[in-house]
Amino acid sequence: MNKVLISVLGNDQPGILATVATVINQRQGNIENLSQTLLHTVFGALLLVDIPKQETPESLQQALQEASASMGLNITVHPWHEQIADWHQNKPETQPYIISAIGPDRQGLVAEVASQLFKHGVNISNLQAIFKGGKNPMENVMVFEIDVPRATNMDELREALAEIAKRLDLEISVQHRKIFESVSTILT
Amino acid sequence: MLNVKDIISTLQMVREENLDLRTVTVGINLTDCVSDDINTFKRKIYDKITRTAGQLVTTCNRIERRYGIEVANKRISVSPIGVVAAPFNAEQMVEIALTLDKAANELGIDFIGGFSALVEKGMSNGDRALIDAIPQALTESQRVCSSVNVASTRAGLNMDAIIRMGQVIKQAADLTADADGLAAAKLVVFANIPQDVPFMAGAYLGIGEADAVVSVGVSGPGVVKAALERAIAEEEHMDLSRAADVIKQTAARLTRAGELVGREVANILQLPFGIVDLSLAPTPNRNDSVGEIFEAIGLPAIGSPGSTAFLAMLNDAVKKGGAFASSHVGGLSGAFIPVCEDLTIAESAANGTLSLQKLEAMTAVCSVGLDMVALPGDTSAEMLSAIIADEMAIGVINKKTTAARLIPAPGKKAGDHVVFGGLLGEGPVMAVNMGNQENRFVRLGGRIPAPIQSLVN
Repeated sequence: MNKVLISVLGNDQPGILATVATVINQRQGNIENLSQTLLHTVFGALLLVDIPKQETPESLQQALQEASASMGLNITVHPWHEQIADWHQNKPETQPYIISAIGPDRQGLVAEVASQLFKHGVNISNLQAIFKGGKNPMENVMVFEIDVPRATNMDELREALAEIAKRLDLEISVQHRKIFESVSTILT
Repeated sequence: MLNVKDIISTLQMVREENLDLRTVTVGINLTDCVSDDINTFKRKIYDKITRTAGQLVTTCNRIERRYGIEVANKRISVSPIGVVAAPFNAEQMVEIALTLDKAANELGIDFIGGFSALVEKGMSNGDRALIDAIPQALTESQRVCSSVNVASTRAGLNMDAIIRMGQVIKQAADLTADADGLAAAKLVVFANIPQDVPFMAGAYLGIGEADAVVSVGVSGPGVVKAALERAIAEEEHMDLSRAADVIKQTAARLTRAGELVGREVANILQLPFGIVDLSLAPTPNRNDSVGEIFEAIGLPAIGSPGSTAFLAMLNDAVKKGGAFASSHVGGLSGAFIPVCEDLTIAESAANGTLSLQKLEAMTAVCSVGLDMVALPGDTSAEMLSAIIADEMAIGVINKKTTAARLIPAPGKKAGDHVVFGGLLGEGPVMAVNMGNQENRFVRLGGRIPAPIQSLVN
């Protein structure tokens, strides 16, 4: 068996997963894992699939594209060799933090924050944003979930982020993830 | 992955609704400092307090940064000084209060409580000396708080002690006449005082407690108000059952935040963690008021008919939510209704919506009692004692804690305005019915017997 990684992008509509999964099944493939998300009305999914020896990524991609032609999807099949990135292989001991940037969207916000995080050796594990516009700052929030290695100097990171906040006229806070878990999760 | 809505709701609680950890309080047992030599005793208590809580402020600052939640006050509570300093006279008791003050100052903490006596059944020499020293001790010190337990459900009311406390409150207020009687604002008279209160002015470390223990007081009336307002605006079938549910859930979330911080501080200080006290403790700021919750639920103002019923529900729901969220909930846990510390309650008292009589009725179902109530300066000591006796009787009969923190503001009359500053706030002087008349009932003294525990009606 070989492994492939399939990405599916397009406008959300009924039948996307049915179509994709049916083609994979007909061609004797097996879905090992998948993750799908919705960004407003845009659908995105990643599927890790075992395919039989006689199958190639190119022919599978073609079959998927043909089957979903009427849906306007963008489907790509990549060959996949299980390689774990260095960060995950030699992952240092980290503490989970949440960075929240409150205030209107600014061009460069993600780039600036992400660059500072990268510079301080921090990994972003998730990024979510709510931008509803309007004057209520709580309706314009970007949330970074990050893993901070022990070696990172939190004070320096906070200072760097405070500098960005000042320049972009935003409120940026850095809080340990546990406070959100404690307050939000009453029943575990 | 956390739900972004949950993250935003937590951020909102901290940022807009005034969720704060009102206090991290380290309780320190002073029984091993006993001595009959005043200098030895003073040195020992100073050393033990500064040694045990030496890292309290820096630890709290660190935790504050880590979680992005303000720890508004850092406090110490100690064993009742009336017990551990029993050999000393009133003058020496004042010296001890000043030593506590010095230790508090050295540590950079906000208040130190435990200048206290437990006299519900009778008064020992140490208790008597301590009570005699209270007016001067609270006048000369900055951060010392005092409490005296004069009644309990098992012992009844010690009316001799209550007579004495009326005089002490009067003296304390008179000694600080230039500050509207501020010393009296640092003194609380209790019935059924809990051993583990982290809130001032009633904090002391009970005799049944460990050598040192970290407790946390969480507040957040603004969070409860916002949650109720949201539910009323957004939910179609909103009724009081649902409102009680909203309060419970909010209380549980607040308690979780308190427990997380408390345990972490305890861990760093290498001390046991005691309790979370979830009390809706207002500050004199908008969006941090218990009175505002009454308006949010639809009452015209706190003090109007319906207030006692809603307060009963609020207090109970807060306790239920807190008890569910943590195994160790203690202290006063419930809703405070301090007049001067709460902007909206002070307003209601000033415009006559809330009378002293209604306030007393409400204390039957709140978590403390007549709290931060400024009274006319000509209220007699005897009438102060009578007000205390009424309040204590409510606690004793209902098997609950009640307290009286009364400030007879020197030179002020009903309707005047008094200012205590900081968390103690400001507010109107409330009228006392027949406040300057004599009261022969109180003068009889003795003890009001403990109530029967059966035939409940």
